[in-house]
Amino acid sequence: MKKICLYIGMIFIFLLMNTGVRAASPETTGPIKIGFMGNMSSPSSLSSKGAATMAVDEMNKAGGIQGRQIKLIVEDTKGEIPKCVESYKKLVMNDRVLAVIIAEKVEMGVAGMEIGAELFSEYPHLFFSTVGSGDDIWHRVRDNYKKYRFGFQTYYYISTNFLKIWAPENTDVFKKQVKTKNVAIIYEDMEWTKPLRKGLPNVSPSLAGVYKEKGINVVYETTISLDQKMFNPIFEEIAKSNAGVIDCVVGYIDQSAFIKQWAQSSARHIPVLIWGGLAGMPPAWKMTEGKVNGVMVGSSMVKVAITPKTLPFMENLVKDYKVGPIFGSHTTYDTMYGFKKAIEKAGGTGDVDKLIKQLEQVEEVAVLGTIGWNAKYHYNLPHPKYLTPVVQWQKGEMKVIYPAQYKNADYISPTDLRK
Amino acid sequence: MSDILLQIVIYTVIWGSIYLLISLGFSLVCGVLRIFHLGYGVTFILAAYVTWAFMENAGLGLMPSLLLMLLVQCAFALIVFYKGVFQRYLEEEEVLLTLSILIFLAVAHLANYLYPVTDGVSIPSTIIDGMLNIGGVTIAYQMIAAAIVGIVVTAIYVVWFMKTRIGLIIRAISQNLPAALLMGVNVNRMYYLAMILSVIPPTICMIVIAPFWGVDPFMGSSLLMTAMLISILGGLGNLKGSIVASYLIGFIHATVSFVLVSRFMGLAALIVTLVVMIYRRGGIFAGETLW
Repeated sequence: MKKICLYIGMIFIFLLMNTGVRAASPETTGPIKIGFMGNMSSPSSLSSKGAATMAVDEMNKAGGIQGRQIKLIVEDTKGEIPKCVESYKKLVMNDRVLAVIIAEKVEMGVAGMEIGAELFSEYPHLFFSTVGSGDDIWHRVRDNYKKYRFGFQTYYYISTNFLKIWAPENTDVFKKQVKTKNVAIIYEDMEWTKPLRKGLPNVSPSLAGVYKEKGINVVYETTISLDQKMFNPIFEEIAKSNAGVIDCVVGYIDQSAFIKQWAQSSARHIPVLIWGGLAGMPPAWKMTEGKVNGVMVGSSMVKVAITPKTLPFMENLVKDYKVGPIFGSHTTYDTMYGFKKAIEKAGGTGDVDKLIKQLEQVEEVAVLGTIGWNAKYHYNLPHPKYLTPVVQWQKGEMKVIYPAQYKNADYISPTDLRK
Repeated sequence: MSDILLQIVIYTVIWGSIYLLISLGFSLVCGVLRIFHLGYGVTFILAAYVTWAFMENAGLGLMPSLLLMLLVQCAFALIVFYKGVFQRYLEEEEVLLTLSILIFLAVAHLANYLYPVTDGVSIPSTIIDGMLNIGGVTIAYQMIAAAIVGIVVTAIYVVWFMKTRIGLIIRAISQNLPAALLMGVNVNRMYYLAMILSVIPPTICMIVIAPFWGVDPFMGSSLLMTAMLISILGGLGNLKGSIVASYLIGFIHATVSFVLVSRFMGLAALIVTLVVMIYRRGGIFAGETLW
């Protein structure tokens, strides 16, 4: 009798364990669930949410992925790390999503990736960071592939690419468009600019070093803090430095104040190139009361058909989802389509490692070029695959001035534009 | 060297006057009501976003929008802050401070919800366009205008407090409340007046600095910090102290920016304030009196 009880007990435990394992495997039938997380009071998260919803609606209308509908589950992190961790757990453990998209600053992505790594063995899933910039996500994959292989980063550039791709392209803009060899560099005091200020050992010299190698003289360099509101002293010094262009390695400073003060300073005749952020968004003209006139900026929000997907994406997002296509929306939308193709190539969602292998190889036509991820490090393929055009504000409109194949206007000096 | 000196002098005056405008209302609430008004940042948000709402949603011109915004400011200060919080929780300081900051945050988030950055909020309040060159230093006319407005508003306030009967009563309240009560002062009415007076300088400030300052829903925090720093350095609630502290901070910011590096100007001001507080606990003009 005792033996029978023991056997029954063992079978019961075995069944429980088996049920548990099965429960944790990705679902292979029913809707494909994707979790979306963002700070719903931040414009970039809201825009990304609109883009993710649009991608899901389009896919479902076209029959879903391999006949399965896609369900998007949205969670608001409120920009708080504890809430981010809690929402990530809920999505993975309760909602049993196949993938989690985090569309906000990189700190949230890192928090999500860490909790994701803990959950991965029990709840295999994928993770995409579509807004966070810098190196924190892909460095984890590089340093511990086994642990973090489920994580992918889709956000334009990483430090190496900033130094090896973006910086040489900038020198092209300086020499050929602005026609100057003297540059003043302004960095914002943030983690992502550190490799640019100091260089990457054994990989690349600093940004100033790269410019020097390309025959550009760096006549002035400074770093500004994020909470800085007064920039006049910097412009006064730049005006005296013989700079022909101001290269602003910024994305998060108060760009509205920065631009307004530049346009009313002694450096107003020196053109400004801003790497990204508010200046590249359509409301910048209104916010600065037109003082952004003449500013060059890396922007993905310009209506130029980079691929057949670019213009419909921008128009439909505004028309049907009532959000502007600001940064993060393109990358989120393109991530969804890259992911779809990977699922199709993997033949389903049952094996997450198979999906990872497919994501490492996949290439798909995207809003800003071609979406795909580096096979070893999981950051998205950089320029020329994925593109951020350089635009110039010219009398209320953003005109593409670089690269040549998408150019729809010539560079005009700020002084001439103000006439 | 003379170039740098000139730059320091010019920017000390300009920034100092703007900081004065930012902190005057905060100092007044500290001095008269003896409240550390953590909700003060709301005034800046309301100034920008209510004006914008009247212009964009009601289609009104700048001047009518500004006037209506001023009415909203006064109503908000009196009904929400004074009647709703200060009067009720004057004796429970922790509740009062918590509620004030919560109201501030709620308004900032509401502004962000109604008018996110993508709406491109701006106030077209440029008084004079263009720039002036003084000995090789270029300054926007609007910045000069903002500095002049700062000086004029402060001068009006000081003269009013020094020369009028009501000003005298308010000073009396700030110096000795029980004595003022014994003398038959209607303290409640004076508090109402002080609340209204406290919203005028930051409102004007927001309007005059908007052409060279960033407008966003969370700008109130940095402006509140500036106001607090100046009031603490000058001596809480002392207008004389606020004037001196504003120009002192302006001087520190200008010197650090032109001699060292601009990103340390905030840090330098904090260190100086800290040092002053160590040696002079109540600030430069210690004591909770208005003048």
